[in-house]
Parts: sequence; structure tokens; C-alpha cells
Amino acid sequence: MSELVAIFFGMALVNNMVLSKFLGLCPFFGVSKKLSSAFSMGIAVLLVMLVASAVTWPLFHYLLVPYGFEFMRTVIFILVIASLVQIIEMTIKRTNMTLYNALGIYLPLITTNCAVLGITFINIDAQYSFIQALTAALGAGAGFTLVLLIMSGIRERLDLADIPRVFRGAPIAFLVAGLLGMAFLAFGGMVR
Amino acid sequence: MNQWMKALTNGIVRANPTFILLLGLCPTLAVSTSVDNAFGMTASVLFVLLAANVIVSLLRKWIPDRVRIPTFIVIIATLVTIVDLALKAFVPPLSKSLGMYVPLIVVNCIILGRAEAFASKNSTWHSVADAIGMSIGFGVAILLVSFFRQLLGSGSIEAFNVRLFSIPGLADNPAAIFLLPMGAFFVIGILLALFRWLGVSECE
Amino acid sequence: MAKPGRGAYPILFLTVVVLVSVVALTLIDGITSERILEAQADEVKQMLGSLFPSLDSYELSNDTGRYAVLEDGSRIGIAFMTQAIGYGGPIDILVGLGPDHTLRGIRIISQQETPGLGARIVETGFLDQYVGLAVDDLALRKDGGSVDAITGATISSTAVTDRLREAILEMIEEGGDGP
Repeated sequence: MSELVAIFFGMALVNNMVLSKFLGLCPFFGVSKKLSSAFSMGIAVLLVMLVASAVTWPLFHYLLVPYGFEFMRTVIFILVIASLVQIIEMTIKRTNMTLYNALGIYLPLITTNCAVLGITFINIDAQYSFIQALTAALGAGAGFTLVLLIMSGIRERLDLADIPRVFRGAPIAFLVAGLLGMAFLAFGGMVR
Repeated sequence: MNQWMKALTNGIVRANPTFILLLGLCPTLAVSTSVDNAFGMTASVLFVLLAANVIVSLLRKWIPDRVRIPTFIVIIATLVTIVDLALKAFVPPLSKSLGMYVPLIVVNCIILGRAEAFASKNSTWHSVADAIGMSIGFGVAILLVSFFRQLLGSGSIEAFNVRLFSIPGLADNPAAIFLLPMGAFFVIGILLALFRWLGVSECE
Repeated sequence: MAKPGRGAYPILFLTVVVLVSVVALTLIDGITSERILEAQADEVKQMLGSLFPSLDSYELSNDTGRYAVLEDGSRIGIAFMTQAIGYGGPIDILVGLGPDHTLRGIRIISQQETPGLGARIVETGFLDQYVGLAVDDLALRKDGGSVDAITGATISSTAVTDRLREAILEMIEEGGDGP
């Protein structure tokens, strides 16, 4: 159990997907301008990560490996993710139009979110068991959402601040991300 | 010829994938810890982008609209796997360095983006130009970031196992933070601001 | 030529594309997999060779996961991989032991420590300390051993040293005189 907790916090904080693994940057800078959309996006990504991990792990271990098709990993995983996102998109469209509109174009973009494909790879490379893989996905999604929320909160404030013209928008966002990353470094000794 | 050149230079300056379109940031920031990595990544991206653009462009009249994106994805994923296997077999050290960011090229928005926005609508010849231009643009960007990160982070630049130059004081006490992820954020933030200031790109 | 969009054509098209992909990749995999295995074997030999310069060949035991290092057919030592939990993540260490269980040396295979601090465990200055050490000396100086920690990287240094000691003691206990 403590191992699972370590994996969770490791993924969420110490090796945060965005700040230390650089995964999930595109939506990170696109969506994080408003707090509310940031939260929806974060949860959506978390969900996709969980389901994707739950599907790809058994696929890899029970289908690809026994037949020697490990090299098909990239193709199969990304197809799974793309299909999942489609399904989730259709489900949200049918059940919650407001949410659907809030997420807008960013929903299909989850397919190209490096973080989702990334976590499926990490699950395999780190040789996690099924439960460990799910925990890692949960942690990664939580970490992603956390950073997204923090960034959007900061950016909402930044919009009101007096920033030199050349830094406005993307540049200052990156610098803030860097500072955020430094802050997260403090989590380094946490998982021992 | 003019049109071809236009497509080519588009990717380098006007619509530089990294600095202007802000695409494909994941690999840029992740592997830009050394100039060697930058070259390796650029070469991989060039191969995939070029092949993908050519294939998509050749098939563009046959690809059904409904399965357009999945088709692009399968094509790109296949090409990426080829590169990954080739690197593992022939250049293992580079493969280790680039790690999982090679297979992650498949979700690199640059490649999917160009397939969708350009190759599926333009001739093969022009798609080649677009691919080369975008790759050069990407290469320049990642090289720039890697250059600064490696220089400031380790005090010297080494490429292809040759020590090119080093800064005396810095080499002994490098600012290691630049090799860390946050260093990448700082470098690219400053570079972006620099390009704005030089008037190369437009304000948001 | 009109782009057919109805009926089964889209699905058929996609299926064909996937099949082509599988065939292409199977081919490529066939070509590269041998090379990849070779490259990995080369790498192991190189790593073992850096610890045992006079090495001719090695044998890997599937039961214990340890390497028997051979010169002219006779065993000159053993080597094995172990993993320490460092500051930033797992540290993979290759350990080389002589016949009497003294350390021939170690190599850091992979680590995620802080660059400039913990990551300096890969430097020869740090690693050379371990050459010739007996199990009893395997502790930091402040704990009564002979290993100097890296300044500002106590956790990383301790992680490596402690794990080494544990691993060797485990091996001796298992009665392991080798694979």
C-alpha cells in the first residue's frame, strides 16, 4: 500500500508530468487561461489517462507480448487513446452540453496530449503491475490537473498585471512555469 | 519554384513551429539538454514529417474524410516506430538519450498538424517543401534552446564527441539549473520574448 | 475521382492502412531486432569490461541474474545489477565483485538525481572510492566507513552506499559465491 502511495505522489508531485517530464504542454499553455476550463480539462485528462492505462496495460501484456508484437506498441496505444477520446467526447456531448461547450476544441486535442500516451508508456517501461499502473495514471492526472489549476490562477492575475509588451502571453507563461517547476523541486525528498 | 520556396521558408520564419505556432513543445523542452540530442531529434522529426507529408499527400484523394485523422495517426505512428527501432539498433546511445520522446513524436502536434493542414490539401512536391521547412524551423528552435541550456548548464558545448568550446569560469561551476526542466522553461520564455522584441513575431 | 464517403469504404480503408502498418513494422522489426539484441549484449560486455579489464567473456545465470566474469575460462569475479532508491528516483547500479567479495568497482547505469549535486555520483572521483572496499568499509565516513559523500548530495551518496552494502550482504548470506 505504501508503495502505491509513493507511486501516486511520485507521479503527481516529484515527477510531475508537466513540470519535470514536459508532457502535456500544448493544452497546458492553451487552456490554462481560465480557472474553470482548466479544471474541466484536468479532470477530462485524468479520466482519459485512467481508462487508457486500464485498456493498454492488459492489451500489451496479454496480447502484444505473448505474440511478440511489442513493437506495435506505439501504433496500438495511440489508436486506443484516439478511440477513447472519441467515445468520451460523444458521451459528454450527449449528457452535458455545457461541459461540452466549455471544453470546446480541447477535448479532441487530448488525443495528442503527450501526457496520456506518455503515461501508457511509463506504465510499461517502469514494469508496473496493473494496480500500480492505475495508481500512476491517477497520480499523473492529478498532478497535471494541479499544475493546470495553479497556472490558470496565476495567469488570470497576470492578465491584470503590467507586463512588458514582449513578455505578454506565451513568454511570461513559460517563465512562470519555470518558477513553478522550481517550487515543485521541493517535493524532491518526499518519496523515500 | 517561387511557390515551392515560399512553402519552404514558411516553416523556418513566418510560421516557425516552435516559436510562433508553439507546437511540438514536449520534445523541444525535454531533450534539449545537449546539442547532440537536438540534432538527433531534428533528424528523427525530419524523417517522420517528410515521409508522413509525402504519403498523406500521395494518398490524399483516396483517404475518406471520416477516418482522416485515424489514418494520419496510423501512418505517423508507423513511421515513428520505424525511427525508434532504427535508432535502437544503429545508434543506441542516442536512443537512450532521447528515450520515450522518440515514440512521442507521434503526438507531436507539428506532424499531425501539417498532415491535416497542408499535406492533405497540396501536391506532393509542395508537401516536401513544407516538411523540410518545418523541420528546419523546428531544428533551429531546438538547437537554439539546447545550445543555451548546454552552455549554461554544463559550461561547454560538445557535439558528436568533439568538445567545441567551453567558457572557462562557467565550466567549473555551471548553472546546473538549466539542465533541469525549469531551465528549459526559462530559456524558451526568454527566447520567445527576444523574438517578439526583434519584431520577428507578432504580439498575442 | 470522387472520394467515397459512405458505406464500408472508410472502415475498409482504415483496416487496410492498419494491416499495411503491421506488415511494414513486422518487417522492420525482423531486420532490427537482432541488431538491437547485439547492441545490448555489446553494452553489457563493455560495462563488465570496465570493471574487469582482463575479461574475456561472461555468463549470465538465469536463476540468480548474476554474471560470472571469465578470463581464459576461469572465473575472476561476479557482477550483478541492483537498484537503490535515490533522491529523485531509482538508481541502477552495476556491482563488480572479486572472488573474495571485495568490490572491484561499481558503475551507475541510470539515475535521476539532481544535476550538479546527486548526479555527481557518476563521476569517477566518487566511484573510484569503492574500488577494493570490503563490505565492512561500506558506509559513509560519518557512519564509520570509508566512503566520502558528495558535498550537498548526502542522500544520493548514502543511497548508493547503503544499497551496496545490503546487496553484498544479501548475496553472501544466500551462499552466493557466484551464479
